[in-house]
Amino acid sequence: MTPFDWHPTDDDLTLHAYRDDAPDEQAAIDRHLRECEACAATWREIQALQQLASAADVPEPAEDFEDAMWARIAPQLHAWPPARRRVWTSRQFVAVGAWAATIAGIVVAGHLWLRHTPAATPAKPTAAATVPSDVRERVLLTALDSHFSQTEMLLVELMNAPDDAKGSLAFERETADDLVQSGRLYRVTAAQTGDRRLTDVLDDVQTVLTEVARAPETPDKDDLAAIRSRIERNDLLFKVRAVTNDIRVRQDKPGASNEGAL
Amino acid sequence: MQPDDATLVRQAAGGDQTAFRLLVDRHSRSVFRLAYRITGQREDAEDVVQETFVRAFRQLDRFESRSNFGTWLYRIGFNCAIDATRSRSHRETAEEPSLLDQRARAGMATGDDLIYAGQISAQVQQALGALSDQERAAFVMRHYHECSIDEIGQALDLKTSAAKHAVFRAVRKMRVALRPLVAPRTEGT
Repeated sequence: MTPFDWHPTDDDLTLHAYRDDAPDEQAAIDRHLRECEACAATWREIQALQQLASAADVPEPAEDFEDAMWARIAPQLHAWPPARRRVWTSRQFVAVGAWAATIAGIVVAGHLWLRHTPAATPAKPTAAATVPSDVRERVLLTALDSHFSQTEMLLVELMNAPDDAKGSLAFERETADDLVQSGRLYRVTAAQTGDRRLTDVLDDVQTVLTEVARAPETPDKDDLAAIRSRIERNDLLFKVRAVTNDIRVRQDKPGASNEGAL
Repeated sequence: MQPDDATLVRQAAGGDQTAFRLLVDRHSRSVFRLAYRITGQREDAEDVVQETFVRAFRQLDRFESRSNFGTWLYRIGFNCAIDATRSRSHRETAEEPSLLDQRARAGMATGDDLIYAGQISAQVQQALGALSDQERAAFVMRHYHECSIDEIGQALDLKTSAAKHAVFRAVRKMRVALRPLVAPRTEGT
């Protein structure tokens, strides 16, 4: 073991990671990192954070983003020069009258249309290429763990809701709807990787989640009974807990497994 | 050859609408990315871009030509983005489904690519959301926009050492928040 009379602090390593330290300090830290395992471990963690942060995509605006923005901005700049005039905020602008409302309506309609139209150049999924495979594996397992944990909580809530409940099922419906959306992606991936067991559980779960998402906001006794019956008939709580357990075992393994993403 | 930002600002301040349009064309995407990192919502980020340029226009006479227009704009954009997040009580930080749908339709990614990208974005966005406004802005500017510490200080009205420490605090908190993704789980965590 090499004795060290100096170690860079975490903040020094952060500066180093962004190359904000002086060149002579950079050389000293690089030398130190080759020899000191403790500092090298911190360094790897900071680098992993940088990679993860860089892998988080921002949706790329549509090709005509600048035109769309200008269409929203320009009407608020109609008098010049800028320093001597009043500039309306978007809410004030909408309120000033029929002419402005018409313009705003056109702008808003265009904006909504853009939001529902796929961009001509969608953001590339660069994450897969830039992050180590073990981190990727862990992220995917964390996602699945979260999906099934939420599913389990929802199923338990439904099973334990009082029969004569007059309360709203709005929250459960919304949660189920979110889970249906994410479940579709997991289902596709599970099928691609040939994970039959996971695919089957996801199929069973999707059916119930869809039923919950489409249930009346204030269900009667029969509605709840039908949902519970399906949960019990398919042994869903047991299956969800079992698959969650498998996922957690795999999460606990140091490093990624080599069995594929799921 | 395209005129530089300082020239366009002078022209715009003098009433040249085309010059201001060029500034919007040149900077609106980077303001959008900054705003998206802070708000976590496409719609909010677009509103922030609009509001940023309207405010910038209103303050053009205060812009000092020796400054960097992009950094000046980030400062306004940052304030607009913070206003947007504060005015929205139920902020949704996860990546928008539309982005995933967009990729899926384009056939550009496999299922686990989509899950992975969505999860990364959601987790990073959540970690960013847990930072203070100042830390979040400092991290976004340093990491995503490659602003120098001095530029961050200018944009956030901080001394250089305070800007540096805002980045340090942000990195420390982000490491803690994202540690489960980069290190094996331990019992009880």
